[in-house]
Amino acid sequence: MENIIRIKDLTVRFYTYEGVVYAIDDLDLDIRQGETLGIVGETGSGKTMTALAILRLIPYPGKIESGSIVFFDKGLGHELELLKLREDRMRSIRGNRISMVFQEPGSALNPVYTIGDQISEVFLLHRRQELAQRARQRLDVLLQDGSGPAASVKRPLWRWQRRLYNKIAQDSNPLEPRLLGRLPLFRRLLWRMKHEAKLLTVDMLKDVEIPDAARVATQYPHQMSGGMKQRAVIAMALACSPDLLMADEPTTSLDVTIQAQMLELFRRIKVDKGASVLFITHNLGVAAEVCDRVAVMYAGRLCEVATVEELFLHPLHPYTRALLDAVPMPGKKLETIPGVLADSFNPPPGCRFHPRCPSAMPICQKERAKLKEVSQDHMVACHLY
Amino acid sequence: MTGWRLMARQIVRNPLSLAGVVIIFIFIILAVFAPLIAPAPAGHRDPYLIPRDGFSITPQPPSSEHIFGTTQGQYDIFYGCIWGARTAFRVALLVMAITILIGIVLGSLAGYFGGIIDEIIMRITDIFLAFPALILAMAIVAAIGPSMKTVMIALSVVWWPSYARLIRGDILQLREEDYVEASRGLGASSGRVILRHVLPNAIYPTLVMASLDIGAVVLSAAALSFLGLGAPEGYADWGQMTEFARNWIVGPQDDPLKYWYAVITPGLFILFFVLGWNLLGDAFRDIFDPKLARR
Amino acid sequence: MELRSYIIRRLLLLIPVLFGVTLFIFGITMFFSPTQRATLYVTSPQQMRDLPSIIAQYGLDRPFYIQYGTWLGQVFRGNLGWSTVVSMPVGRAILHYLPATLELAMCATPIIILVGIFFGTKAAAHKDRPIDHGTRIAAILGWSLPTFWLGLILMMIFYGYFRGLFPPMRLDPQMEVVVTSAGFVRYTRINTIDAILNLNGPVLVNALRHLVLPVVTISTVNVAFIMRLMRSSMLESLGKGYILTARAKGLQEKVVISKHARRNALIPVITVSGYLFAALAGGAVITETIFSFKGIGWWAAQSAIRMDIPSVLGFALFMAALFVLVNLVVDILYTRVDPRVRLGGEVQ
Repeated sequence: MENIIRIKDLTVRFYTYEGVVYAIDDLDLDIRQGETLGIVGETGSGKTMTALAILRLIPYPGKIESGSIVFFDKGLGHELELLKLREDRMRSIRGNRISMVFQEPGSALNPVYTIGDQISEVFLLHRRQELAQRARQRLDVLLQDGSGPAASVKRPLWRWQRRLYNKIAQDSNPLEPRLLGRLPLFRRLLWRMKHEAKLLTVDMLKDVEIPDAARVATQYPHQMSGGMKQRAVIAMALACSPDLLMADEPTTSLDVTIQAQMLELFRRIKVDKGASVLFITHNLGVAAEVCDRVAVMYAGRLCEVATVEELFLHPLHPYTRALLDAVPMPGKKLETIPGVLADSFNPPPGCRFHPRCPSAMPICQKERAKLKEVSQDHMVACHLY
Repeated sequence: MTGWRLMARQIVRNPLSLAGVVIIFIFIILAVFAPLIAPAPAGHRDPYLIPRDGFSITPQPPSSEHIFGTTQGQYDIFYGCIWGARTAFRVALLVMAITILIGIVLGSLAGYFGGIIDEIIMRITDIFLAFPALILAMAIVAAIGPSMKTVMIALSVVWWPSYARLIRGDILQLREEDYVEASRGLGASSGRVILRHVLPNAIYPTLVMASLDIGAVVLSAAALSFLGLGAPEGYADWGQMTEFARNWIVGPQDDPLKYWYAVITPGLFILFFVLGWNLLGDAFRDIFDPKLARR
Repeated sequence: MELRSYIIRRLLLLIPVLFGVTLFIFGITMFFSPTQRATLYVTSPQQMRDLPSIIAQYGLDRPFYIQYGTWLGQVFRGNLGWSTVVSMPVGRAILHYLPATLELAMCATPIIILVGIFFGTKAAAHKDRPIDHGTRIAAILGWSLPTFWLGLILMMIFYGYFRGLFPPMRLDPQMEVVVTSAGFVRYTRINTIDAILNLNGPVLVNALRHLVLPVVTISTVNVAFIMRLMRSSMLESLGKGYILTARAKGLQEKVVISKHARRNALIPVITVSGYLFAALAGGAVITETIFSFKGIGWWAAQSAIRMDIPSVLGFALFMAALFVLVNLVVDILYTRVDPRVRLGGEVQ
């Protein structure tokens, strides 16, 4: 399938004390294999919720009301309807096949555990068999090469461990190590897997260009700078080589200079890992730098989606035009979009943008526009077309 | 900052806090209408002394004359419990009033002016807070001489430090707020600023703590009376009545729970009184806690 | 900074605190007559009969600061005065009655903490559902119970109906004999620990039986604190960003709560637990009085009632020292649990 994600008719509602909010309202969106799709919009446009919906992590009091999200799992080779998946299957996809990077790296990391621990956690969760295999290999080497009195004493222990790891390597959740893992003393026997996970972690940290990776892995989040933390979070998301990486405003909380580095990193990820990326941002400039295609959302609805050149050169939707006009440029008068953001509890009827739209027509008040392909790979939802 | 009406609505919505309000209301009725509900017999001098029907030591079970029975010395339990509500309110409200007043004054001084004044007041509160409250109260009562008045004084002395601390903390926070700066900028004097701007906002956490503390005060007063350091013998005080029951926990061999009415009833009144205030206070805490704000 | 030097520094700070406390209480005692204050310096029953000479000897009619100095001098020599209440020197009284209270505190605190943490976590994880409401009601109820009333009712049931199952005081008379006999070594004077160390089963069982009711009474009333604190702490923790990250990693909800949320939520609970232990060690007065479990609280209460000034002063000293010690332990624990905090209390 050409699309790694196909969202159709997605509706997400929030049932709050003060009323019902349509965070996402009948959304149709595709993410293609290997592309970096940007979602651009203001606060409340529903862009973050889209990513959370894909992972089925919509927080209470929100609910995914209706729709379908189809994910093409490269490992399995076929499609999955994510919204109908059993929770434990969904869990095996989170952090593994689809992962997410959040906005504030500072709060995304748990302050009481080291970076290394938190990244290793992903490996220990999703890559048990591989870790067990590596451990087994090391034990094979030890059993072969080990000599001297110390080795002969430890041999039975090594053989037992090897048997253990062999079991894990072949069957993902065997009984014996599971029971052992619970007993406090025997938990130590599985330390080799933790060790392998640590090695993989350090490799990951090196991949995201963190200097002195081995030392950094032993540090706590509060000991790291914002840029480093964000890299660590990215490392955590990329650990299992996901098919889809979703990034929610990954550069917003960082210094401009670090931002540039981060974007460079994202570009490299695209090339090296071949992952598809869903890049959420409110900054058009950033979107232009990193994305292949860009989708514009407003008040939970999709306004326009096109390739990045098309969108910036020939914006069709009035909202997109307004956004582009609003970008401050030297010499140009500062344009703003008149009016206020659509009220979440009482949104305007018909097209959500019509109260602020310079080209509003009578029909805009009554009917919502459907998404139409206006030119090659360029879709708009506006009555103008 | 929620309006009073919104607050009232939230209290009524929550079944627990509603129960608390109802309980408190019932006790208010009992206290206010005590003379009607449990009238003193003719010629009885001090209504706060429980009338005695004889001098026998053994408690008598509930009967048509004595609805709840009588306790050691033939004091009417019903009378004692109803008038005990009055005593409880007297003690609680008086102690709270004094405590909060002292707390506000000292806390405001410490918080607003800072520096040496703050240091001194804080050290004093530290010393008070380090000492177990009950023992300190006991010492004070013993020193002055046991009576209800002494109990109230002792409890006030023990309780004011927490309020001074609380108010001071609030003032420290609020001192930095913009509207205080603005007020000073307009030339308002310190006193005026405290009174009109800072205190009204500091009230809410105080309210929470006060409603929870009323229960604690009554419990402490009851404990003191129970130990013989509070109300004199025969006074209409729940703690004092429980003290009587101490000798009657275990009845004769064949009927060990014989004198249950003497033990359980006064304590039950204490329990419900405190429960009502605690439920209310707990609801207040939820309402005013910014971290647990509802969505 | 290094742990050892930190501890030493903190212990040195103990001294000015003790000064402050004793100065304060000593100041209060100045309101009493010289005769009463003379008891502060008595070391034996005989001296009690000859108070005027004591007054002269220690200059109890001299100015305040001289008296304070004299008293301090006595304290350094280990003489804290004579406790009329229990007819022994104050210092010895403290050591004599402390083990009982420690035993109570050591049994009650873990129960309170574990139960509180367990239900607090559950309440937060299932917010607004039956278990949440249930724990809240139980907590408020427990906290509203008059301690003495609960104790009386328990006694009514267990002394009346189930005679002898959970008796008052610390030990049965027969066991008391065993414990004070030559064959039994009292290492700590805490009966349960001593019984274990002496490998004496019957004494252990007996001591435990006597502990049940007091511990239940104390625990019921105090568990509310920890429960509520844990609940609000967990709720705050669950609202943080790293929880979403943990879920996005594919972790089971169970693990998210126990590994990620709870670890953070425990931090404030540790502080409170320290103070809880201090409060319990300071003597649960009512409980000890009701169950005739003669510990420090009981002794302090008796001293307060009978105006036994040396005892009250001695108790104040003890509490101040305890307070500082507990503060120290809590601070050190804090650094172990929260990596952001280093010794010396600087938060990074």
